[in-house]
Amino acid sequence: MKGERKQGTRRVITLVVNEEEHALMVEDRETLLDVLRDKLVLTGTKEGCGTGECGACTVLVDGQAILACLTLAINTSGKKITTIEGLAAGGKLSPLQHAFVEQGAVQCGFCSPGMILSATALLSKNPSATREEIQKALEGNICRCTGYNKIIEAIEKVRDKIS
Amino acid sequence: MTRLIGKRIPRIDGTVKVTGEAKYTVDIQLPGMLCAKVLRSPLPHARIVHIDTSRAEKMAGVKAVITGRDAWDVRHGFVETPRYPADQYVLANDRVRYLGEEVAAVAAVDEDAALAALDAIDVVYEELPAVFDLFEAMKQDAPEVHPVQVPDLDEPYKNIGGMCANSFGDVGEAFRSAYLVRKDRFESQLRTHCYLEPQATVAHYDSTGTLHVWTSSMGTFRKRMHLSRALKMPESRVRVHKSWVGGAFGGKIDLFSHEFCTALLSMKTGRPVRFVAERDEIFSYFRHSQPMVIDLETAVDRQGRLLGQRARCYNSCGAYRGSGVVFIFLAWGFLVGPYRIPALDYAGYSVYTNSPVRAPQRGHGAPKVRFAVESQMDMIAEELGIDPIEIRMRNARQKGEVLPNGDSIRNAGLTECIAEAARATDFQRKYSENTRGQNEKSTVKKGIGMGVSSYFTGTLIYPNNSAAIVLFNDDGTLKLLTGALDIGQGAETVLCQIVAEELGVDMQDIRVVAADTETTPVDIGSWISGLTYVTGNAVKKAAQEVKKMLLLSAAKEFEAGPEDCELRDRRIYLKETDKSISFERAIARHIRENGGDPIIGRGNFRGLKDAAIGPSLKNAKGAWSDSYAFDAQVAEVEVDMRTGKVTVVRALTAHDCGFPLNPLLVEGQIDGQVSMAAGQATVEDVIMKNGVTLNPSFLDYKVPLATEMIESSYIDIITEQYEREGRFITKEVGEGYVSGILAAITNAVANAVGFRAKKLPLNVDSVKSFTNPGDSE
Repeated sequence: MKGERKQGTRRVITLVVNEEEHALMVEDRETLLDVLRDKLVLTGTKEGCGTGECGACTVLVDGQAILACLTLAINTSGKKITTIEGLAAGGKLSPLQHAFVEQGAVQCGFCSPGMILSATALLSKNPSATREEIQKALEGNICRCTGYNKIIEAIEKVRDKIS
Repeated sequence: MTRLIGKRIPRIDGTVKVTGEAKYTVDIQLPGMLCAKVLRSPLPHARIVHIDTSRAEKMAGVKAVITGRDAWDVRHGFVETPRYPADQYVLANDRVRYLGEEVAAVAAVDEDAALAALDAIDVVYEELPAVFDLFEAMKQDAPEVHPVQVPDLDEPYKNIGGMCANSFGDVGEAFRSAYLVRKDRFESQLRTHCYLEPQATVAHYDSTGTLHVWTSSMGTFRKRMHLSRALKMPESRVRVHKSWVGGAFGGKIDLFSHEFCTALLSMKTGRPVRFVAERDEIFSYFRHSQPMVIDLETAVDRQGRLLGQRARCYNSCGAYRGSGVVFIFLAWGFLVGPYRIPALDYAGYSVYTNSPVRAPQRGHGAPKVRFAVESQMDMIAEELGIDPIEIRMRNARQKGEVLPNGDSIRNAGLTECIAEAARATDFQRKYSENTRGQNEKSTVKKGIGMGVSSYFTGTLIYPNNSAAIVLFNDDGTLKLLTGALDIGQGAETVLCQIVAEELGVDMQDIRVVAADTETTPVDIGSWISGLTYVTGNAVKKAAQEVKKMLLLSAAKEFEAGPEDCELRDRRIYLKETDKSISFERAIARHIRENGGDPIIGRGNFRGLKDAAIGPSLKNAKGAWSDSYAFDAQVAEVEVDMRTGKVTVVRALTAHDCGFPLNPLLVEGQIDGQVSMAAGQATVEDVIMKNGVTLNPSFLDYKVPLATEMIESSYIDIITEQYEREGRFITKEVGEGYVSGILAAITNAVANAVGFRAKKLPLNVDSVKSFTNPGDSE
């Protein structure tokens, strides 16, 4: 039972989030998602289910897309974490962020941060990803608004520009 | 010619949503905020003998515990009318009627403390017999969830929460003279919204006695009305703030117990309180869509023309009325919308069972009704040897027809939709080819199918109307104050477009302030499919009013009349000259000459201006809507004969939404509805046993994923123009298009393999039992 949990071990870890270093006191059981949202108030990372099924909490850890709700914060100590807040450099949207807006890939927007980070990880590894590869890379990110059409089109638009 | 209206314009909230800046309710954090959790009934039907909260109250970190005793005797309902008074307590009183019903709530310093406190609340229940199946619940010897709520019911049924009956024409004669009569039962499953943002509420009762609320909803004014009633507070003391909404699809309209509890806990503690529902809580206990059973009997002549129908609709509304009585009223409307029916005998029953309460979901019954009608239409066509397109063309309503309730359908592009959809997909050729293919030995079979539907454009339900204010800043930029809440469909963008169009400015020159009940005027809300029409017209009027004042002021500068002036690029030009003055100058002059009065315009709009109230839920009489959108949709599917897997490959939507103000947003609405319909047709199913939800997660309740994206295309049948003067007519686009494509998918499967689904979803097991009968268990 969640309610019966005793206070766990606490320790200080260093998280490098969006190129800024934070020394944080965390419990061993705390997820990266809770630390990002509650301690660092980086609420752009969303929680849609808390059990690794919807992808809304996707962030990049050393360039890999991971689910922050299933990742313990202590396991990311010292690693390079990128959240949606870290994508726009100097106030300029990243190509994927820009394409999402322009192509109508955003509706309610709750899945958008996770989608964009999954797509960012994909295109940095595979800049010429095919439509099937894009679909596969987004399979863990649920969107209930768009039917995925305009999301995939937005990613293809960026792919065509860079490759 | 319009400059911005009708153009593919990216949404104005896109940037804050892709940078993570957009604050949803779940992102609101206030200093000293407490965590709220809700204790739920572990039984589907029981009497509450005793609740003891004393242990919980004494626990470290626990700040308040509330039960039904703290909730006065307030009841609430989706519908609150003399015929259907509110029937649900905000916290269970002396009885629980479904598993998961809210019994108590706590506020504590953190989640752990709150959960521990829930465990420490002692509740003694006396279990009562429960009933889950709607036909079982209607029997005389069934356990009583509530007494029958319909005084005029003359049938010996139990647990009837609502009934809607309507008939017209000579139904007896229609069936006597029929060439063919078909009678079928169609069943639609329990499905759910799966909005990605969980249900969440933040409340802060401040020291001035004002309750501040952020809640994931579909209209802040409707929430304020419900909350102030339930809390017995004046509306002026309840401020519902805007927060971005992470999807709703009908599931966030009603007042929810957690909203009341979060507010009351804040009032008790004087501290901000936040409640966020867990995903399994949402799947198990929150409001899903309404399952429907429809018995549909249809009489046609030799040419397949409808002569008359008898229809009986049944839905289980759950343990309280919810939107069930609206659902059975709407079902009547969705029956009579697209096709000419000379005679109809209709009755709909909303039945109480010991299940969670049901809510609207995108289409609110239309997908289920159209699934039934469109399936039967194809069956009739096949029996008569008429092709599916021809039978639809023969029955489709035409421009100017009048519906049985007296609504004129004004412009109806339905026949054009059907014809264009058939032409663009090469429907008839593929249909015949696939029919022949049914007898061939191939592992993957192809199918094509069509479905049509129509949907109303807003109706009268609280608050019925919208108002808007447009103000000029001194520098010539503008502010729009609107109560509209953007739930993802792009409400703010479209309203901003309308103001920019009317005033000849860029959308960047307009700041939209929205959805805050304290700083913006009343709004109808993002539901019942009327926002762009109702709020859009209110906004347009407000923009026209400031335009008039601006032109008057400028005309004085030119010593001309306002009709001699025109607006362009934030300047006012004297027509046919190069003389112009800036907006700033005209605004300054207006202020100077009017004793310091700035330029402020207001507008308001209400549909059905000649109707005092909305249509009757009892007999479906009375005006319903100013206009109706129409669509014909085609689905192309592949069915794997070995596995029974149905893949929706392509969808085409030919639709008459009046005038698409922003095609980029319209396409987004269509794609989303196609995807949602495909989920409903093939996989989505909330599986419940004895009140327990067996698949309360995204792993077990399947929704369409990126790998299942359906190629989607569109044909706009434009039947209205955006007119600068007078009200503009745009029609519904946000929920009507789930229906046609849902029916099209099931018809396409029938075209592929000959399997006629009368029960949704047509999952692999049902299809496989047909395609591969020897292999099924």
